[in-house]
This record gives sequence, structure tokens and C-alpha cells, in this order.
Amino acid sequence: MTTVPDTGVPGSTGAAELAALVRAAQRGDSLAVQELLDLLTPYIGRLCGPIALQDGPDATQEALIVIFRRLGQLREPAALFGWARVIAVREAVRLARAAGRAVPDPLHDVPARDDPQLAADVRDVLERLSPAHRAVLVLRDLEGLDEHAVSALLGVPEPTVRTRLFRARRNFRKAWER
Amino acid sequence: MGTLTDSWPVAELDSVRRLRVIARSTPGISYAEQVIAAPYDRVWALASDLESQMPMLITDIRSFTVLSAEGEHLEALARSPLGLRARFDIVLRPGWCLMQSRFLLGGMAAVPEGEGTRFAFFGGLRLPGIRLVDFLLGPVKDPLIARALRRFTSQLSP
Repeated sequence: MTTVPDTGVPGSTGAAELAALVRAAQRGDSLAVQELLDLLTPYIGRLCGPIALQDGPDATQEALIVIFRRLGQLREPAALFGWARVIAVREAVRLARAAGRAVPDPLHDVPARDDPQLAADVRDVLERLSPAHRAVLVLRDLEGLDEHAVSALLGVPEPTVRTRLFRARRNFRKAWER
Repeated sequence: MGTLTDSWPVAELDSVRRLRVIARSTPGISYAEQVIAAPYDRVWALASDLESQMPMLITDIRSFTVLSAEGEHLEALARSPLGLRARFDIVLRPGWCLMQSRFLLGGMAAVPEGEGTRFAFFGGLRLPGIRLVDFLLGPVKDPLIARALRRFTSQLSP
């Protein structure tokens, strides 16, 4: 088991093998493109699923189309997964926004990592957040990025990324309003 | 990680969507897709019989012979009506086929949809600089692919 550099994404493909595959795909070898698609699809699906929810398959497809159209621009093959992540998250947010689905009982803050509600029912939390907030959650909790990296990747100010224990806050508000 | 990552929703990409990714990110490709009123098993049994289907779908191929098969990797020899030969590298999986020679590229994918099957098919040229003239080729190659798809589906008519 080796780890793809710069990404922390586990896989059975070594760095040299991945680099050869990227170079072959960049030269127009479609069988190499297919192998890269095999490697990237589960990762992109894990990013797009929680951000785009029911539009996840569409978002994954559109993200991969952008990734393979722009593959020629990737200078450093070892950076593939990190580079693809930026495209996937942006495409998923764009598609989820365009779908314009109503958010039931919306939450205005991203829950903190140790929020009990997040551990109890992640899908319920995701469905009540905006697509951009879902992206914050995915990058922080699934990808393990810090606030600064999330802010840079999404192009949003750090205070927007900053998270709170919303359950605790909501409970406090309820108690205070009594 | 702090949360149960197993419970996070994961988006799946079926084989037709995967074929769309390759078709829409590769220059020189013409792509067609339709829902066929026949069960997936019947559609894929026909489509994956490459030696009989390739000459039927592509008029430039007179014969298509599988030379070797190792797991999902196949090697085949195509002959044109004029006797020209081309060697194809192929990946064949359930619901998925991708093949390329030095100058040609082709693919098929199928997924069950209701009681029928969504079937996708593409073909194209692998030439340097094809990206620059791709828009000129569309009117020529798109009808060819549409006709190939019609030839395929007509074999499945009840």
C-alpha cells in the first residue's frame, strides 16, 4: 500500500506509476485516461456526494469532464489528487447552487468537528446547510484541511469558514428565549 | 476523523456517465446515447460480441478478430474493405468497452434503466492537432455514429 504524494489519498498506485499514467493520458492515450478515471472516480464521488447530495452523480460527472479537459495543464503529476479536489469541490458547489433546491430548516453555521449532531446524523446536517457550507464541512472533516486551507481553496474569507457548535448554540438560544 | 466517515453520502458514477466523461473530454469524438427497450443482459450480450458487432457498426471494418484476451484486456485485429489492418487494444468489462488503435478510438457502455437499457456509443479519430479542427468534423462524424447506433438497436427490435 502506497500513498499518493501531496494528497494523503491511499491507493495501490505508486507515485512513479501515477506519473506515467498522467503523462500517457496527457499525450492522448485513452486507455490511460480510463485508468486514471478508475483511480479518480471514487475520490471525486466522495467529495461531490456530500456537497451536491441528490445531484452528486451529475456533479461527479461534470467535475471529471473538467478535470480531464484540463489535464494537459497539470505540470506535476504527483499533485493530481489535490489539483482534482479543487475542481471537484468548485463544480459540486456550482452544480448544487444551480439546482437551487430548497434547504429545509436551514443551519447558518457549519457545525464544529466534535458536534454530537454531526456524528449522529451527517446526512441531516448536510441537507440543512448551503452547498458552500457543505463544502467547508467536507474539506475540513473528510479531507482534514485547516480553516486557512479551506478558505484558500473555496475563495471565501476565513471567518466564513470558522465553525461553531451550532447545536449547543441553538439550545442555548432556546433556553434564553424561554 | 471526528465524524463517522462511513455515513457520508458517496456519489456513484455508472458506466454510461463514465463514457460521457471520456467522450466529452476527448477531442475528435462523436457520441450518441439512447434508451433501448430491451433488457440490459440482452443488450450487453450483443454489444460485447465484438467480432460480429464491429463490422456491423463501423462500415470501414470488414472483419474484427480478437487475437488475445487476458482478464479484461483484449487485443484485436481489424481489417478494412481495402485490406488495411489496425491493431486495437481493448478493455472489456460488464457494461463497458473502450478500444483504441493508433488512429481510432471507440467505446460503448450500458446500464439498466427501468425495464430497458441506456446504451452509449462513441467513436473518433486520434490524430495530433485534432482539437484544432474538431468543430469542422462534427457534421461528418455525428451522422456516422447515429447510423451505427441505429444499426445496433435495429438488431434488438422485438
